[in-house]
Amino acid sequence: MIPSIEFRGVSKFFGNIIALKDISFKVFKGEITALLGDNGAGKSTLIKLLSGVHMPSEGEILLSGEPVNFKSPRQAVSAGIGTVYQDLALQPLMSVTRNFFLGREITKGLFLNMPLMNTITKKEMAKLGIDVADPTQPIGTMSGGQRQTLAIARAIYFGANVLILDEPTSALGQKQQLEVLRTIKKVKELGDIAIIFITHNDMHAKLLGDRFAFLNRGKVLAEGSRDEIDMNNLRPLMAGGAELEKLETEFSGR
Amino acid sequence: MASDERIRDIGLIRRSISRPELGSVFGLIIIVITFMTLTSISGTFGAMWLNPIGIQAWVELAAFVGILAIGASLLMIAGEFDLSMGANIALAGHSFAIFLLFGVPIELAIILTFIELAFLGFIIGVIVVRTGLPSFIVTLAFWFASRGFAVFLSQTFFNQSRLSVKANLKPPPGGGEDPTLIDNIFAFDKAFGVPFDAEVYYFIILVFIVAFITNRTPYGNWIYASGGDPVAARAVGVPVARVKISLFMISTSLACLLGILTVMTSGASDPKAGDFRELHAIAAAVIGGCALTGGYGSVVGAVLGALIFAIASRGINFVPFIDNNLFRVMLGMLILGSALLNQFLRDRIVKG
Repeated sequence: MIPSIEFRGVSKFFGNIIALKDISFKVFKGEITALLGDNGAGKSTLIKLLSGVHMPSEGEILLSGEPVNFKSPRQAVSAGIGTVYQDLALQPLMSVTRNFFLGREITKGLFLNMPLMNTITKKEMAKLGIDVADPTQPIGTMSGGQRQTLAIARAIYFGANVLILDEPTSALGQKQQLEVLRTIKKVKELGDIAIIFITHNDMHAKLLGDRFAFLNRGKVLAEGSRDEIDMNNLRPLMAGGAELEKLETEFSGR
Repeated sequence: MASDERIRDIGLIRRSISRPELGSVFGLIIIVITFMTLTSISGTFGAMWLNPIGIQAWVELAAFVGILAIGASLLMIAGEFDLSMGANIALAGHSFAIFLLFGVPIELAIILTFIELAFLGFIIGVIVVRTGLPSFIVTLAFWFASRGFAVFLSQTFFNQSRLSVKANLKPPPGGGEDPTLIDNIFAFDKAFGVPFDAEVYYFIILVFIVAFITNRTPYGNWIYASGGDPVAARAVGVPVARVKISLFMISTSLACLLGILTVMTSGASDPKAGDFRELHAIAAAVIGGCALTGGYGSVVGAVLGALIFAIASRGINFVPFIDNNLFRVMLGMLILGSALLNQFLRDRIVKG
């Protein structure tokens, strides 16, 4: 199968800073690729390369086997790459429907076609397991998990076949984290979307991931499917393996 | 499919509580009852509420402040601010008068003045969007500059600061003293038996158009989003900069309309025209539920705010046993009270 996204030896430099060095990994449709790494590992640079904010300094990114070079976020979006950022890009005082369609409203002549937009919003949210009783209410009343679902449903509706989720669970409480994990699973079950799930929570990665890639200090430490990766070794890999062992020695030495 | 227990149905009452103009509806009821009571006590009830001239007094003021408040509220919803509105009324009036005195035909003079003021709004908008300076500062500069420039022009060309143009205006077709824009352009003045100034008719038409635009068009959506969270709005493709620039152009154009109408009705352009009106318009917008932080408010609310302002402002003249100066104290408290009430109502929406 041709990967939806493939990184081949991608590097990114900012002046003398090496943000990413020789990154290679693959993402397939209908699968969740968990991208793990600690803060500063280069996760956000990687997202920005994918979503067209930055261009790689070396190497190439392949979209369904074709090399691509996104010059702007708009290009990435129209190529079907949907990014759901941590802040979600939502308007708390505006209604569910208005948020869903903001910037891409459906009109009837000059005016908004609210009934149609309300129906679509309800339908798209239901696909991901959330029943919106009243899509005209402001999203300020929704839980964090439901807002995340709204942002994901919006990206999918507007044509994302690669969905990048930037630490979707990190800012949420335990119960809402589970809500979001359930949503991500629903997206996977849709079958035709490749999901890049960026997280530093090894539990969540283990729960959902079909493939894994570990970033540490700008490099991929390990990459592979569930069978190829030693699942019990996730945590040490994330923290950079050797460093953690060194720390253990230090602590036991006291 | 399991229904989500975290989403509950909200009834009509709760939904109307989450409307931004709710506070001003209460405010209007309170103000009307208060002044009906006060005028009854002083025996001037008929003079304020039944007599056409009494009604004219507060309706015309509400329309004047209300037209500006439309612009003020749109800008506040988008997270911006225009302090130069009042000064732009004088600039528009003087520009219009100067065009007339130079012999430009009235229709052309109106068009030229609108182009001039819309261009000014464009400049203000571009400065705000490009430099990132707070619009409060940028428009404070034009609060000085617009009126100053208007008086400078009239002093330079005509050696006076007040410009009389009575001779350049067409007399009203039905006879009478004051030529108005309606007399000159549309002859539907006095259609309803009450001789309101032209502002009133323009005001009513504008409110309907703008309320429709803000609630029922993509552009209206973008205005709210630009003020609510500009970064998020840009991320989903809303042209935030263009929206803001267009709103500054609307704001200066509304000031232009008032400037021209004032000259038409009075037959002269006064350098003091529109003085302090920007603050009255902002007060109306605040009373009407607009948040200074942007993203929240409504044009209808601002209109109700303008009515509250006008009734309180003119009503005090019908209540001789209350000192006129107390009006300002009252207005100040009214603004403070409304802002508090609106903040409370807004918090309820976010917290559910």
